[in-house]
Amino acid sequence: MSFWSQTMEIARVDMSLERRTGDVTRIVVPFAVIALLVFPLALGVDLSGISRIGPAVFWALGVLFGMQVALRQTASDSPERRDLYALLGVDPAAKFTGRTISGAVLTLGFFAALLVAMVVLYSPRLPEGWLAPTLLSAMLVAIGLTELGTLAGEVTAGLRSRTSLASLIVAPLAIPLIIGGSQTLESVAREATILPWILLLLATDLALAVAGVGLARPLEEASR
Amino acid sequence: MTRVRVLFAMAGAAVAVGLWFAFTAPTDALQGEFSRIINIHVPSLWVAFLAFGVTALGSILWLIRKKPRWDRLASASAEIGVLFTAIGLFTGMVWGQAVWGRAWDWGDARLATTAVMFFVYLGYLALRRATPDQPARAQRSAVLGTIAFVQVPLVYFSVNLFRTLHQTQSIRPDGSTMPPEMLIAMLINVLTFTLLYVALMAARTEIAVVEEAAAPVASMAGEGISPPRLGEVEDV
Repeated sequence: MSFWSQTMEIARVDMSLERRTGDVTRIVVPFAVIALLVFPLALGVDLSGISRIGPAVFWALGVLFGMQVALRQTASDSPERRDLYALLGVDPAAKFTGRTISGAVLTLGFFAALLVAMVVLYSPRLPEGWLAPTLLSAMLVAIGLTELGTLAGEVTAGLRSRTSLASLIVAPLAIPLIIGGSQTLESVAREATILPWILLLLATDLALAVAGVGLARPLEEASR
Repeated sequence: MTRVRVLFAMAGAAVAVGLWFAFTAPTDALQGEFSRIINIHVPSLWVAFLAFGVTALGSILWLIRKKPRWDRLASASAEIGVLFTAIGLFTGMVWGQAVWGRAWDWGDARLATTAVMFFVYLGYLALRRATPDQPARAQRSAVLGTIAFVQVPLVYFSVNLFRTLHQTQSIRPDGSTMPPEMLIAMLINVLTFTLLYVALMAARTEIAVVEEAAAPVASMAGEGISPPRLGEVEDV
């Protein structure tokens, strides 16, 4: 099997597992929407304040809960499945890429659901032509976040404190993503160019992709 | 151990000289005595950058060569780097409170990115603590130590990349913006802190060798089974 066949097969298996378990659709999305509801309750009934903070809350919750999507444990993370992949000669880089593709698709779907919920609940004042740049930045953030989550998941594979440790690793490294995502919308509102922020997101995604593919083999050795 | 003692004696003498220069150098006309913080703040963060650079180098060398000394070098340097980042952050906050009127300013990209770098390396240390198996610990932390280094240039260039409260670099290719006496005092303290880093590294890597020797050897398959003695075996 070629590299891309392995990659697409792993992504397909991951997506079918998500279809069966519904980790993202049945757990992460409702939990994030509840978190969206908590913010206005904590702020009080200040309607202008709520609509002003809407996009910022979207990015903060998007990245925090997106981390949960990226770090979710699927059946393919079990030691038996890892051994099976190794015995079958699956390229660790293909495994990283496949996990990244399926995770990015799920994270992007999660962002879309969260965005709709935020627009409905917060009635934010969005500038004209905001949708295309927001979707573009959301796509790049989803890719970067999943790359980071897949890397952190591999680094902490099999450890008892995996969940909290992986979050501790991902959260600070995700800062360029949250800055890039939120500043893209800010730039549209200020009628400024979004190019620097899109380039920041692209550079982060590219650096993480190089690190993920390059370090996939040593990570596989460590996690078995 | 003698080598470590000699290094610490040299570092101690250098700290005394550095302090003398720090307290005798002229102060800034506007900031007054608070400007002397530069003699701790800048050298601490210089050592932090150096330490994280050594961590990345040790991590890469471990991934290539798989020699335990590279893992010891990377982990010792990360610990010292975290310590000096904390000192740099703390002195920066004290200085900020005195000069800007607040210890923490979200408009300051240097402050925010340094805090992020601090947490990234805390994660590195937490990962090492959470991984009991030595080769796996070395391998995993080497991967993180390599990736985490991207934070260092981001922190250094943050004052140029973002509109920020923090001043840009005082020493540039075209010269320095500081008076020569203040610059000399700061550079002497940079050297002093570098020597202190070397002494701490020597001590920490020696401790790591002792720790590794004292660590229980991982159980091997079949270790609990001992072969029967000759007298116990009956002929059948």
